[in-house]
Amino acid sequence: MTTLSPITAPVIQGNQIPRKRLYGIMAEFHDPATLMAAADKVRMAGFRWWDCHTPFPVHGLDQAMGIKRTILPVLVFGAGMTGTMIGFCLQAFTNAASFSIWALVWVTGYPFLISGKPLISLPAFIPVMFELTILLSALSAVGIMFLFNGLPRWNHPLLANKRFLRVTDDRFFIVIESRDPRFFASRTEQFLKDLGAKAVEMVEA
Amino acid sequence: MSESAPAINLTPANIRADALATPGTGLRILGFAILIIAFVMGMRTPDQGLFLRTWMQSWLFVTSISLGALFFLIVHHITHAGWSVVVRRPAEAIAANLQWLWIGFLPFVFYWWKGELDFIFPWANLAALKEISLAEAELVAKKSAFLNEKFFMIRAAVYVLTWFVLARFFVGNSVAQDSDGSVAHTKKLEKWAGPAAILFGLTTSFAAFDWIMSLNPAWFSTMFGLYFFVGCCTGGFAYIGIVCLRLQSLGYLKGIITTEHYQDIGKLLFAFGVVFWAYIAFSQYMLIWYGNIPEETAWFLARQIGEWRWISVVLLFGHFILPFLFLISRWTKRWRGTLLFACVWMVAAQWFDLYYLIQPKIPHDIGAYDTYEQILAQYSNESAHFLSPWNWVLLIGFMLMLTGSTMRRLSSMGLLCIKDPRLTESLRFENM
Repeated sequence: MTTLSPITAPVIQGNQIPRKRLYGIMAEFHDPATLMAAADKVRMAGFRWWDCHTPFPVHGLDQAMGIKRTILPVLVFGAGMTGTMIGFCLQAFTNAASFSIWALVWVTGYPFLISGKPLISLPAFIPVMFELTILLSALSAVGIMFLFNGLPRWNHPLLANKRFLRVTDDRFFIVIESRDPRFFASRTEQFLKDLGAKAVEMVEA
Repeated sequence: MSESAPAINLTPANIRADALATPGTGLRILGFAILIIAFVMGMRTPDQGLFLRTWMQSWLFVTSISLGALFFLIVHHITHAGWSVVVRRPAEAIAANLQWLWIGFLPFVFYWWKGELDFIFPWANLAALKEISLAEAELVAKKSAFLNEKFFMIRAAVYVLTWFVLARFFVGNSVAQDSDGSVAHTKKLEKWAGPAAILFGLTTSFAAFDWIMSLNPAWFSTMFGLYFFVGCCTGGFAYIGIVCLRLQSLGYLKGIITTEHYQDIGKLLFAFGVVFWAYIAFSQYMLIWYGNIPEETAWFLARQIGEWRWISVVLLFGHFILPFLFLISRWTKRWRGTLLFACVWMVAAQWFDLYYLIQPKIPHDIGAYDTYEQILAQYSNESAHFLSPWNWVLLIGFMLMLTGSTMRRLSSMGLLCIKDPRLTESLRFENM
């Protein structure tokens, strides 16, 4: 099996076990303040493929990591406006159009006078337009969030790590991935130790 | 968290505003003098109906701001909120105005005593109403078990007394905690916030029915109370924002109220003052428009004739569309300049909304026309009395009293709930 990364993890025992690809290096911290300071240094060292893992949201970590604001709201706004337009067109077509369009089958409008109102009456359309705005905004917010985060994924190398289990309890981690261009196993390991990590460990893919 | 929080300045220079007492008293006396003179002159004007409606509109404007602040306090305690502790004192200072705002209702008691309440409320004189419109008088006569002067005054007393007690309770306990530091005050306020919310909802709804809806006694809308409540939130939340921003620009509360708190005030203003208002206003409009029953649609007709047509359009854009687009972004709520602009705008929108609710009169002869266009043509010159001096004199008088009293209150009770158990949480509050 050829390895793509320049570095392989040390073989633990026996030569029948295949050599595994290195996912990255994981550093464990015992408190968020050290983590924050470390994250600041990692960002300044120019790493790009890395992440922090904490048991709870840590205020200011986004800034320390240099995470840019997401463009999600803009996309959701666009999706919402699309919903508004779909809501309007759907009702205007079904209630006022006398022509046919092809949408898988030929469909045609059915002009029908309801309680003496004009065929296209905006006040009556607004509830449906509103609901479709909400529907498309909500679905696109969740959908795009999944897309941006690379979800769904069934497994993650870190989840196989014993030490990483405590991330849901009282430990804080920085993981630098081996695909980062600045990654070099021994040097990165020393770099993380210098940042105050209590333990540094290789993680296999 | 173990990271070191920035040192927070809790010295009296930062959280006491004794200097506001003198200008506050001055503004209050000035406002009171303007109102007294305006009332004496108003009693002699030929159009007493216009004067009384304008009085109602201006008085309800400042009352709704204080009610919005009271609602803010109730919600704060009901949810055991942490973030809003640092902005609670300004809200308390505004809500405390409910302890004197009942004075603004006295002119109506005076007109009742004179037997002239029908200048503003047509139901107070059924015989006169019968001469103008027999159909309307018959409808209104059926409501006389509720809409009669004595019961009306009893209800008004109940509303203002309830608000008096609620404001005293919420402000008094909070101030008492400053000196004794007991958590029991917080516990007590949280326990009674639930019943207070029910009382608040009932009194504001029925006050809106009595004081605004019954100006057109044949008309009815079951969601009108909610509409007024949303107006209270609009004015109240926006005014809380203005007071906080002004206090900080005067050099108080430095490092205590932060961008994070302002963003949340902006969110509340956006949610209640802009979106929820539009939701309620549209729901009310759509149901009446769709039902298309003459005694209901007449109310909107009165707001589409003559100058009122443009007032309605301005309200739609000024209270919903423009502020919606303006406040939807995160940065406009976080940057002080834009938030102050939005708050001032929304306070003005609340005033405009009350003006739109209270001033128009439904023409009594609308039954005589065949089409909508005929009515529009007949009443194309209908004046909205926007430039009527009463609009501005009474507004200035009441606003001076509200602002002056709020300043006095702030100077006497300090700017921060210094012993609140959730103060630290609030000082460290951050939006994610």
